Amino acid sequence: MNSLISLENVSKFYKRGIEEVHALDGVTLDIAEGDLIAICGPSGSGKTTLLNIAGCMDHASKGVVRIRGEEVERGGERRLAEIRQSMIGFVFQQFFLIPTLTVEENVELPLLFSHHKANPSRTADLLERVGLSHRRHHLPGQLSGGEMQRVAVARSLINEPKVILADEPTGNLDSRNSAAVVELFETLNRAGIAIVLVTHNPDLAARCRKVVHLEDGKVVG
Amino acid sequence: MKILTLAFNNIRRTPMRALLTAASVLIAAATLSVVLALDRGYARAVKRELVDKTGVHLYITKENCPIEAASVVAQGGLSPLYVEQSLVAVSESTEGIAAVLPFQLFAETTSDGTRTDIFMGVTDAIRRVRPDWVIEKGGWFENEDSVILGAQIAQIELAKVGDRLYSEKLDKEFKVTGILRKSYSQDDGMIFLPLATAQRLVKREGRLSAIAVKLTDVSRMQEVTTRLRGRISQDYSVIGAKELSEGVLGFFAATRMIMFVMVGVAFGVSVFGIVNTMLMVVMERRREIAYLKCVGARRADVLRLITMETLLICVVGGLGGILAGMFITPLAGSMLRGTLVGYVPAGSIAAPSAGVALFSLLVAVGTGVLCALYPAWKAASIVPMEVLRNE
Ligand SMILES: Nc1ncnc2c1ncn2[C@@H]1O[C@H](COP(=O)(O)OP(=O)(O)OP(=O)(O)O)[C@@H](O)[C@H]1O
Ligand SMILES: [Mg+2]
Repeated sequence: MNSLISLENVSKFYKRGIEEVHALDGVTLDIAEGDLIAICGPSGSGKTTLLNIAGCMDHASKGVVRIRGEEVERGGERRLAEIRQSMIGFVFQQFFLIPTLTVEENVELPLLFSHHKANPSRTADLLERVGLSHRRHHLPGQLSGGEMQRVAVARSLINEPKVILADEPTGNLDSRNSAAVVELFETLNRAGIAIVLVTHNPDLAARCRKVVHLEDGKVVG
Repeated sequence: MKILTLAFNNIRRTPMRALLTAASVLIAAATLSVVLALDRGYARAVKRELVDKTGVHLYITKENCPIEAASVVAQGGLSPLYVEQSLVAVSESTEGIAAVLPFQLFAETTSDGTRTDIFMGVTDAIRRVRPDWVIEKGGWFENEDSVILGAQIAQIELAKVGDRLYSEKLDKEFKVTGILRKSYSQDDGMIFLPLATAQRLVKREGRLSAIAVKLTDVSRMQEVTTRLRGRISQDYSVIGAKELSEGVLGFFAATRMIMFVMVGVAFGVSVFGIVNTMLMVVMERRREIAYLKCVGARRADVLRLITMETLLICVVGGLGGILAGMFITPLAGSMLRGTLVGYVPAGSIAAPSAGVALFSLLVAVGTGVLCALYPAWKAASIVPMEVLRNE
């Protein structure tokens, strides 16, 4: 299968006073087209750090990150932004919706920065897919947590990414809403989009084809 | 959707704060447009009245400082320095000079103290030197007690041709023989009388305040000035009407300075207001800016957004300011007229114009851009992961 993102021996260090924290310590991971991967591990084990480096939101201290074979570590901020826009969709635990924009506008927001033209039928189609067509003119404050996360998923899809990186997407949701979001990811995955989820939820992890366990910044199985 | 929409939405979240900030810009822009209008208006009125309208090209005075000379010629100040009447003949015989008007000016405050009348003693050369000086009703002086009134003073005094006017200060009765056509110049407020009478009233027989000279060809001004200087004593000065108006503007310099300091203070205050507001905006919205970066916004996008928000506020404030300026300018004009110490032109000294409005708006917008720089740079430098980790 075609590799989308590959991490080779990636480490990330943070200085905290005189002490050095190894948030990631020699992680090797390959994300291929159509993958459905769960990343599990205790708090502070480096899950978010891993996802951010894989998503070109952050630089590795050591090791190599390749996007479709292209080494990104040397690319400037501009190139990283380009890669993010063209390949990667992000979903965050706190949704990150802009409170002054309607559901529809939030979904189209990434287009503003990738300088693509908004296509109303595409936006409508995405909202349909996440089951929120009837909410398109509402503001985020008027939605439930699950609905907000579905808006965030629709937003992550607007630039037609190859892979979605989701950091605890159900962390703020109750079980019913979680199930809806997970089902949504599964549907997207069946349509060919690779999904990487960070989760604490063992049931959710069990539904993924591949599970990566992190502990103290290392992959442990 | 556009960045503008985002900026506009953001401003609407704290409308009161945006309004107050815009108000400070409004005050600054209004001050600037009023001051500019007055400054230009005054200079233009002075130039129009002393240079363009009068037809006088040169003055012969005893003063060589144009500011002093201006106070004599334009204000009717009775200077201890004077011009000998014998110079009139010398000037008249100088080649290139079309007409020569000797005059004696003096000012007299009315006995109730409310008004200062300027009297100008003239000969009938005034009709040749000053084409704008036209008798509308009545005619030329009939005897030494005759006066011709400027249009405005005639209106104030409700005087008609043939009326008698009594001046308590001068203890003299005059007969009105003529009333001038309104010229929107200082003439409108003047009282003209025969030169000899004026000289007698101020006890300066044979002496003049100055001599006004009209040239046959203005383009030969330099040449004629030199020739004239050669023919009269070194004690006298030959001053162009233009230098004279510049002298008058010299009086205005202090007022002008104060006005521009006011503008500076107004802009200084609004700069602090804008920078403060925008820094607050950036602090409050760190998370949201981080979100924007997470969904693909780059430094330039964030810079644009914050600059746009600042500009929206400044454009609204600036537009309001020039609008307010248009209303305030005429009021400020009449206020300034009351406080001016120098020459007060009869015409309007407030000249609002599209140029002034546009310039004020540009300054307001430029200030906005400058004020946006630091907050926008701060916003653009937000590292999303740092902000979001610390929630
Ligand atoms: N910017 C930073 N500066 C210092 N230390 C950091 C920074 N970011 C992460 N760390 C540290 O790196 C380690 C891994 O953090 P990370 O956020 O990746 O953990 P996580 O697995 O996502 O945890 P959680 O499940 O609580 O979200 C932690 O010990 C954290 O304190
Ligand atoms: Mg985390």
